[in-house]
Amino acid sequence: MKRYIIPVVPALVLLFACSTLVNAQTKPEASVKFSGEVVRPLIIGASGLQRAERVTVDRKDRDGQVHHYTGVLLSDLLARAGTTMGKELRGENLTKYVLVEASDGYQIIFTLAELDPDFTDEKIILSDQMDSKPLPLADGPFRIIVQNDKKPARCIKQVTSIKVGFAQ
Amino acid sequence: MSACQIEKKRYWSRNFCVLLLFLSFFVGFSALKSEEEVPRGIYSLEYPVYFGNRTNISKENPLTQQGVYLGRRLFYETRLSANNTISCGSCHRQELAFTDGKKLSKGVDDTFTDRNAMALVNLLWNRKFFWDGRSGSLEDQAQFPMISAHEMGQDMETSSRKLQSTAYYPPLFKAVFGDDKITGKRITFALAQFERTLISAHSRYDQYLKQQIKLSPEEMRGMTLFNTAPNPEKGIRGANCAHCHGGPKNYLELFHNNGLDSVYRDRGIGQITGQETDHGRFKIPTLRNIALTAPYMHDGRFSTLEEVIEHYSEHVKPSVALSAFLQNESNVKGSLPLKLNSVEKKELIAFLNTLTDSIFVSNPKFSNPFVTLKSR
Repeated sequence: MKRYIIPVVPALVLLFACSTLVNAQTKPEASVKFSGEVVRPLIIGASGLQRAERVTVDRKDRDGQVHHYTGVLLSDLLARAGTTMGKELRGENLTKYVLVEASDGYQIIFTLAELDPDFTDEKIILSDQMDSKPLPLADGPFRIIVQNDKKPARCIKQVTSIKVGFAQ
Repeated sequence: MSACQIEKKRYWSRNFCVLLLFLSFFVGFSALKSEEEVPRGIYSLEYPVYFGNRTNISKENPLTQQGVYLGRRLFYETRLSANNTISCGSCHRQELAFTDGKKLSKGVDDTFTDRNAMALVNLLWNRKFFWDGRSGSLEDQAQFPMISAHEMGQDMETSSRKLQSTAYYPPLFKAVFGDDKITGKRITFALAQFERTLISAHSRYDQYLKQQIKLSPEEMRGMTLFNTAPNPEKGIRGANCAHCHGGPKNYLELFHNNGLDSVYRDRGIGQITGQETDHGRFKIPTLRNIALTAPYMHDGRFSTLEEVIEHYSEHVKPSVALSAFLQNESNVKGSLPLKLNSVEKKELIAFLNTLTDSIFVSNPKFSNPFVTLKSR
């Protein structure tokens, strides 16, 4: 009996590994791609966002309730991608915009100055949690939260791409 | 040889010479005529200010009159298919706002396409093409149906070779691209130029937007429903169509799961991204000329606008991929679908009918030029 079990165990392990691999191929990790006028194009997923400095902001959603959204300041992520933030945000760099796109094709823009902590105390984050839980499926896994916009139209859900461009 | 035979021979040779002369004159005249016919210069696109200027034109492929002229001919050119029977215009018929009136379209191999033929209307403002948005330009898009085995079924090299061997096309390509070499890229470029001119802006709704006419009270009520999100707590009734079909173009370039299914035969964008939340996510088409473009949805499952409205009113299916805005967007608190009444449904259809542009679907600039021209 033992004779049969010994080769069966590695076979099962191999089968499990293969199925995990196939699963990984059919269901890739969701991520946000930073591109355009950036020195270091960046693709950040859930784990990368968890490792960055976390911030929580409160804002009311369409349901009329105030929620706690946790994520990373968009300005931090843009700085990591090598966007002209902080001391570099002057002159023609003030004509740059950040185009955020969701998986449904919805797009919104910010200017860099709207995001930079040297210009504003407004907190605009790329969130991955609402009330300490992952975002609802239809909103996540990544959603921009603009702390003080009266309308939530720029709190764009299911974010997939962030592109920095120059206004022409 | 008898005198009679000699006379007969002379008669035939004389007639043959006359025929040859006539033919060479005709060929020469035709060539001259086609040379003269080709308009040249920059092509000026005309559209209302309210459509905005966020257009999608490749810097590499600016519109010229000769490019549009060639593109229109290629659009209706059956030589671009493997059995010389299908052109772009076969599945995109002008009188149907460039759709084909069928659930799925039959290709050269007698099999059907996977998805419903999309309307070609105001593509100038599109940045993503196909039901799953997989293509980023008209130039790129154009090759897919041409090389697909279930559509036109012919590779671009063969298409180029076939056109190159004609007397008709090389001079046209020369007029557009500077030399008469025909390539797949040039074919797609000319097609894209023509498709960008397919602008629909003369519907009754356009006349209303230009403040030239008033819509009927029923149409106006339909428009209000179209543009209003329901809020049962405040007693506001609406259909919220504008969430996805809003603005003067009735097109916002969005991709949604609109609750057609909870188990997917076609996963749409989910097939590309592998994300569960993208399953059943498809392009939201423009509603311009929507009354002409039945059947509806990516698989043509609905035959009438009434059926479409019935879906949003009564049959939206919940799933993890159902787009957020369709979850509990209802005129009845706690209900999933819209729950419109029969009068509201009729009002919505009355408004949708104002989006039909009879000038667009009969404009000779977009029609098949080969219906009258045989010698090519």
